[in-house]
Amino acid sequence: MTDHLTPSLLNALADGELSADQLVVANEHLAGCLRCTSAALFQTMLKSATARAGHRFAPPPQFEERLTRLVRQEDGPPKAAVLSTASGSVRVFGFAGWATSCALLLVFASIFVFQRDSRRIAIASSEYAGLVTEICDQHVATLAANLPPQVLSSDRHTVKPWFQGKIPFSFNLPENLPSDTKLEGANLTYLHNQPAALLLYSIGKHRVSVFVRQKTTAALSNGLLTEHAGFYVARFGTDDLDVVAVSDVDPARLSSLVSLIEQVQTGARK
Amino acid sequence: MRLPWKRSAPEAASQTSAFEQLAIPLFPSLYNVAFWLCRNPTEAEDLVQETFLKALRGFATFESGSNFRAWIFRILRNTWLTSRTGLAAQRTIALEDELERGNESGPAPVPEGAIDRQTPELNLIRLGDQAALRDAMEKLPSPLLEVILLCDIEEMKYREIATVLDIPIGTVMSRIARGRRALRECLLASEAQSSEVRA
Repeated sequence: MTDHLTPSLLNALADGELSADQLVVANEHLAGCLRCTSAALFQTMLKSATARAGHRFAPPPQFEERLTRLVRQEDGPPKAAVLSTASGSVRVFGFAGWATSCALLLVFASIFVFQRDSRRIAIASSEYAGLVTEICDQHVATLAANLPPQVLSSDRHTVKPWFQGKIPFSFNLPENLPSDTKLEGANLTYLHNQPAALLLYSIGKHRVSVFVRQKTTAALSNGLLTEHAGFYVARFGTDDLDVVAVSDVDPARLSSLVSLIEQVQTGARK
Repeated sequence: MRLPWKRSAPEAASQTSAFEQLAIPLFPSLYNVAFWLCRNPTEAEDLVQETFLKALRGFATFESGSNFRAWIFRILRNTWLTSRTGLAAQRTIALEDELERGNESGPAPVPEGAIDRQTPELNLIRLGDQAALRDAMEKLPSPLLEVILLCDIEEMKYREIATVLDIPIGTVMSRIARGRRALRECLLASEAQSSEVRA
């Protein structure tokens, strides 16, 4: 016999994978071929020896118990089952990973919000500094020009209507002023290319310029008093208006005037 | 008429019970194969646990009456492939798989040398040495070890192995032949080394 069994047939023979017809043919050949019989015997013995050697690792006794418990807990909420694993490092690490991710997300979000707020504050501060500089410049220019106001009147019912059609907003003026405080008149001016009402007051011999303009995106904090180039600057804001006053008068008296103007703005809306 | 959410609890319990009846008897086999693949007790436990949880969650998709053992071993194997050791093994055997690519579609031609045709005395000389055989198995690349574990230890049929590994039956046969050939060569090398020491 010259045609020996193929390696596939020998392996399939050892594995019991031959069909009935193939088995008949193989057995006929093995009956007369010592070489193939030896090979088939080796395959069979190697298979059984491998099976014995391969049954090597037994699970720890407590692991099966733990796994059974875990499977039964899966009937409940999945999260509880995941958390209840004793040594399921994959699941626990998965949860820890999510927790870490959430924590990092919160930290980054906080940093982002903080930076955004800081940037917004910085922009607002920068804008306000520019506004104060421009207001002080205009105040000085008004003093230096020594010209009469465009509307020369101490009557609030004359000054306020004068702005009708000149500015896209309206405002109120206080009626009862302190004894040495007087409304001198008003000018139409421009702040940052926006129309604004420049109200001219005097407190004693000190001149006060009060700028009223439409509210911009940069909100002003109420009641803050700052100093710029020797002048005091007080400001407040309403829902619609930004009001900034500048003078070299005593800051308390300037604040008092600004408070009166503020009261009539808010009072008129109540 | 019972409301759906009132029905779901007992149904889930019975499903878990059915799963336990099928899966728990396979637990030692799954752990043994997992340990062979991971070579680490902790990772083997994690792998089996993950396999059980995945299988339980997907048990609703398991077709009753089909081969549960092949199904859960396939889950185990796929889970292992995405594990640390599985990924490392895949990187290691990349070239080996390249060699095999031409044989994936049909019955694989097994080289003549895959079958030992020498004398029975030489063949049987080391088969009783369990330690030598285990050493030889540990040296097998994972694609060959997988088929040897499933075929010889789990006594799966070629068709089942093909299902578990998601490869054609021809490739299963080819890998079995190559795996056994590698075992034999390793045993012979070990025997030669021992003979030299004895001499």
